[in-house]
Amino acid sequence: MTKKLFYTMALICGVFAACTKTTLKQSTTEDVNIVGYLRQHPDSFSLFEKVLVRAGYSDFLNAYGAYTCFVPTNSAVQLWLSKIKASNVEAADISTLQDMVKFHLLNDTLTTASFKDGKLPVPTMYGQFLVTGVAAGERGSSYLINRQGAVTRSNVRVGNGMIHVIDQVLEPAKQSIAEELAAKPEYSIFVEAMKATGYYDLLNTVNPDTSKRWMTVIAESNKALADSGIFSFADLKARYSHTGNPAGANDSLHMYMAYHILSGIKFLGDIITSPSHQTLQPQEVISTQLINQNVVVNENVFNGVLEKGMTIDRAGSDNAATNGVWHSIQAHYQVKYRKPTAVYWDVATFEEILKLPAIYRKSSKDFVRQSEADQPLKDITWGWGALAGTNVLTYYYGPTVSIGQYCNYQDAIKMPLGLPNRPTYLELRTPPIVKGKYKIWICYSARNQSTSSQQLCEVYVNGTLMPRTFNFVVKRPTGTAAELEAIGYKQYTENSASQMVGRLVGTYEFTTTDRQVIRINPINGTQNDNYLDMIHFIPVDENQIFPRFKPDGTQIFQ
Amino acid sequence: MKQLLIYISTIVVLAGTASCNKWLELKPQDGLVREDFWKTKEQVAAAVTGIYASMLDNTSGKTLAMPEYLFVWGEARADMVTPGFRISANETDMVNMNILPTNTFANWRTFYETINYCNTVIKLAPNVLNEDNTFTQDMLNRAVGEALTIRGLMYFYLVRTFDQVPLKLEPTLSDNDLSSMAKSPSEDILNQIVSDLKAAENLLPDSYGNSAVDRGRATKYTACAILADTYLWMEKYAECAAECDKVIASGRYGLVSQENSLFNALFWTGNSVESIFELQYDAQKLNPFFNIFASNSRRWGAASHLMEEVYGVDLVNTIPQKDKRGDGMALRAEDGTIWKYIGANDAGTAMRTADQSFAHWIFYRYADILLMKAEAINQLDQPLEASRIVKTIRERATALDFGDAMDSTSKSSMEDFILQERAREFAFEGKRWYDLVRNAKRNNFAGLRYLINAASKSIPPDMQQSAFGKLRDRNSLFMPIYLYELQTNKLLVQNPFYK
Repeated sequence: MTKKLFYTMALICGVFAACTKTTLKQSTTEDVNIVGYLRQHPDSFSLFEKVLVRAGYSDFLNAYGAYTCFVPTNSAVQLWLSKIKASNVEAADISTLQDMVKFHLLNDTLTTASFKDGKLPVPTMYGQFLVTGVAAGERGSSYLINRQGAVTRSNVRVGNGMIHVIDQVLEPAKQSIAEELAAKPEYSIFVEAMKATGYYDLLNTVNPDTSKRWMTVIAESNKALADSGIFSFADLKARYSHTGNPAGANDSLHMYMAYHILSGIKFLGDIITSPSHQTLQPQEVISTQLINQNVVVNENVFNGVLEKGMTIDRAGSDNAATNGVWHSIQAHYQVKYRKPTAVYWDVATFEEILKLPAIYRKSSKDFVRQSEADQPLKDITWGWGALAGTNVLTYYYGPTVSIGQYCNYQDAIKMPLGLPNRPTYLELRTPPIVKGKYKIWICYSARNQSTSSQQLCEVYVNGTLMPRTFNFVVKRPTGTAAELEAIGYKQYTENSASQMVGRLVGTYEFTTTDRQVIRINPINGTQNDNYLDMIHFIPVDENQIFPRFKPDGTQIFQ
Repeated sequence: MKQLLIYISTIVVLAGTASCNKWLELKPQDGLVREDFWKTKEQVAAAVTGIYASMLDNTSGKTLAMPEYLFVWGEARADMVTPGFRISANETDMVNMNILPTNTFANWRTFYETINYCNTVIKLAPNVLNEDNTFTQDMLNRAVGEALTIRGLMYFYLVRTFDQVPLKLEPTLSDNDLSSMAKSPSEDILNQIVSDLKAAENLLPDSYGNSAVDRGRATKYTACAILADTYLWMEKYAECAAECDKVIASGRYGLVSQENSLFNALFWTGNSVESIFELQYDAQKLNPFFNIFASNSRRWGAASHLMEEVYGVDLVNTIPQKDKRGDGMALRAEDGTIWKYIGANDAGTAMRTADQSFAHWIFYRYADILLMKAEAINQLDQPLEASRIVKTIRERATALDFGDAMDSTSKSSMEDFILQERAREFAFEGKRWYDLVRNAKRNNFAGLRYLINAASKSIPPDMQQSAFGKLRDRNSLFMPIYLYELQTNKLLVQNPFYK
C-alpha cells in the first residue's frame, strides 16, 4: 500500500517537475499586417498611420483580409494636409480622412503585374477606380497612380495584403463628366449640344446604383468640330437637327450625342481590348482598334472600301470623373447610316490561309487542332470531336474534281461533323454585316461520304435558331429558279450541277452593324465530307437568286 | 542471469568491433572526395566534359535546363514570339514587361553552377601535372581554355541579362568557401570576359580533328566568336571585326550552300559546316523544347506578323518565292509553330516526336560571325562593305525584297537593316532581345525606337503605354535579382528599377 502511494507521489512529482513553464510560440508567422508595417517604419509612414487611427480604420487593416493599400509617405501626407488647410492630422475633418483612406484602399491583393494602361481591375473602397500608368522621369521610370502619385516602393507583401508606397496623396475626382467638360471652354460646342439634347443631366448625375453609374464619353473639342466646318453650336444644330427638337430621340443631333456616349467605365486600356462598343444610341456600335499605337475609332472596311477612322488623343483622354471617364477625339464623327448590303461570304478565305500564298487557291491544306485548348484559326472554331483525328478543318482546293471545280474560286472548307465521334458544331465569324434584315443562304457542294451518310444540320445566327435545316448530302432539287426559291433552294454557281446547293435557312434581323456569329450544328448523321463554300447574306428586299458565281470568282447577274 | 548478461555484452562488443573495421573512416562510401580526384588526366577530361553536361540539363533539379533560360531571356521580351496557351504566369509577366523579383526566370542558379564547374577546372587541373606524368601541358591548356571560354560565355549572358552580377572566379569547393558576394560593375565583368577569352584563344586548339567535336567543344574559334560578340556589346567595333576576321580566315567554316536545305543542315542534322558552337543533344539526352513548342502543350509560338512583316510573302509569282529562313525553317506559317527545334522536315509536314527532341541549341554559327562583322564595320563607317556581307547572307537564303530596300550609302539605315536581317536569320535562337538592346543602347540610347517598336508588336494593347514608359528606363532592360538570392546573399542590392 505504502509502495503504491510512493509510486503515485513520484509520478505526480515527475509531472509537476516536467511542467516548468516552457514558452510556446503561438503564432505561425511573424509577418506583420498593413498597420504593423506602418508602425515598423514610423519615419516614413507615421502620419498615414495616424490618419488610419483617427479615421477608425486601423483595427480592420490590422486584421485578417486581402487588401491593396497605396501608402503615401509622411511628406506626401503633410503636403495634402496643408492643401486641405489642416495643421495636423488631429485638426482634419474625420469624414475627409475617411474618404482619403478609402480612396487608397482596394479589396484585393494587386501586384504591379496587374497595373495596365488604365483602371485597376477593382474599384477603391471609395467607389472610384484608380488609373495606372508609367512615367519616365529623371530617376528612371516608375508607376504613376491616378496621374498623381509615383510608386516609390512596390509589392511589399504583408500579412493581409499588398502595400505600394506612393509619393503623393491620391485625390478622387470631384466633378461629374458633364461638369468637367463644362469647365473646359475648348469643349463649349459639345457641351451646348449635351445640354440641348438633354444628356447633360444624365452625365451630371451619379447614380447610386453602381451597375448604372458609370459612363464613358468621347468628347469632340471645338477644334475637332471646326476641322469639319462646324464653328458654333448653331452650325452643328443646322447640320443635324432636322426635326428642330434636339431633345427628341429621332433627332439626328440627339443621335449624334448618344453615339458619343458608351455605357460602363472604359479607359483607353479597356477600349482597345474590345473591337466594338455599344453606344447609348440603340443598336449602334463604334469599332475601335490600335493602329501604330493610336486608338482609332470607326476605321472599317465595307464592301472593299476602307473608311478612315478618327484618332483618340491620348494625352487629353482617360479623364476620370465621379460618374465615369471622358476621352478627347481629334476629329468629328457621326453615326453612319448604311443601307443593308448583301455579303457574299467566301468562307474559304480566312486570315490564316491568306498567309500561305503557296497554298491559297493552289492546293489543299489541313488545319489540325491538336487538343481542345488549341485554336489554330482565329475566326473559325468547332466543338471538340471525341475522336481526336476528326478535329481537322481542311482548306480544300479542287479545280479538277467535281466536288470543287464549280465552287467559287474552286475552293471550300471541309469539316467533319456529327455525334458521337466528330466535332459537335462549326462556328464562324462573319465579315462586318450592316444591320438590317437578311435572308441567309448556306452554299455547299453536296457529297456523300458513303451512300448511307446523312448530315442534317441546323443553323444558329448570333445564337438564334434558324427555322430551316439543311443537309450536306442533299442535292438541289430540279425546277425553275422561282420554283426552287419558293421551297428554299437556289443555284448559286454558274454551273448548274445539282450538287452545288444554295439553301435558304431563314431570315434574320441583325441589330448591330458588326461581325456576326454563325454556328452550324449537326443534328442527324455524321460524316467527314462536308464541303462548305459560301454563305450569302442578302437583304430581304433584294434579288435572292443573282449574282451567281463562276469558278474564277466573277459574279454573273443574269 | 548474470552469465546471460555477460554473454550478451560480449557478443555486442564483438559484433560492434568486427563489422566496423573501418570505423574511423570518414570518407563517404558511395562517392569520390576531392582528395581522391584530380589525380589523372582522365579525371580532368571528365571534369571538363562535366562543364558541357551541366549546360544540357539542370543538375540540381531545382531549376530549368539552360537552353530554356536562353530562349526565354533572349526572346520573351522581344517581338518574335507570342505566348501559347500553356504559358506560365512568369513568362506572361516577362512578355508584358511586368517582371517581379519573384519571377523564376530571374533565377541565375543554373549559370553559376556551370561557372563553378569552370572555376573548379581552372583551379584544380594545373596540379594534376604533378600527379600524372602522362598529363601534358597541352592537355592542361586545352582543359583550362575550355573552362575559360565557357565561363566567359556564361558571364556574357549574365551581364547582358542582369547588367551587374557577382563576379565569382574562385570555385566553391566546400562549405567553407560559401560567402556573400556583392555585384560587380558591368565594365569589370566585361573586361574579365575579354581577358578570359583572350587567354583561352591562345590555349585552345584550332580543331580536335573531328568536325562534330569541333562544334561541341570550345575551340579557338569558339573563343573568337564569343569575344567578337562581347566587343560588339562593348561597342569596340575594330576589335570585333578583327575577331570575326580570325574566324573567317580560319577557313574552317562556311555558309550552308543555297542548294541544300538550310533547315536540314542546321537543325535537323546539326553540326553543319556553318556551326561554331552548339549544345550536343542526342537521343540519350533530350532538349527541353518538345513540350514548349508542341502544339498540344504550347508555351511559345511564332508571332503572327512574322510572315508578312519579317520574311515577306510573295503574292506575285505563280510559284511563290520564299525566304528559306521563314516558313519551314524558323516557323511553320500556317499555325505559327516554332519549327527550328521541333520540325522534322522543311516542308512543314513532319514534326519531331517527343523522343526525337534533340535539335541542338546553337550558340554561334558562321552567319552570326558575318552579320556581327557587318554590324561592326558599319559602325566604323563602312556601310557599303557591310551591305555586301548582308547580301551574301540574303542570297544564300533567297530573301524576298519588300519594304524598305537596303541602303548601302547610309550608316543609320544599314544599322536598321542589319538588325532586321538578324531577326530573319536568327529567329528563335535566343538572340533577338540582346540584338535589340545592343542596338538601342548605342550612342546613349539613340536607338530606343527599336525597343519601342518591338514592344508595340508584342505587348497587349492595354499595357503598351506602360511598357513604353518602362523601356525608357535603362534599368528596366535588365532582369531583377531573384528574391531568394537577395534573401540569402545580403550583399546583393536589387536593380533600382524593381524598387
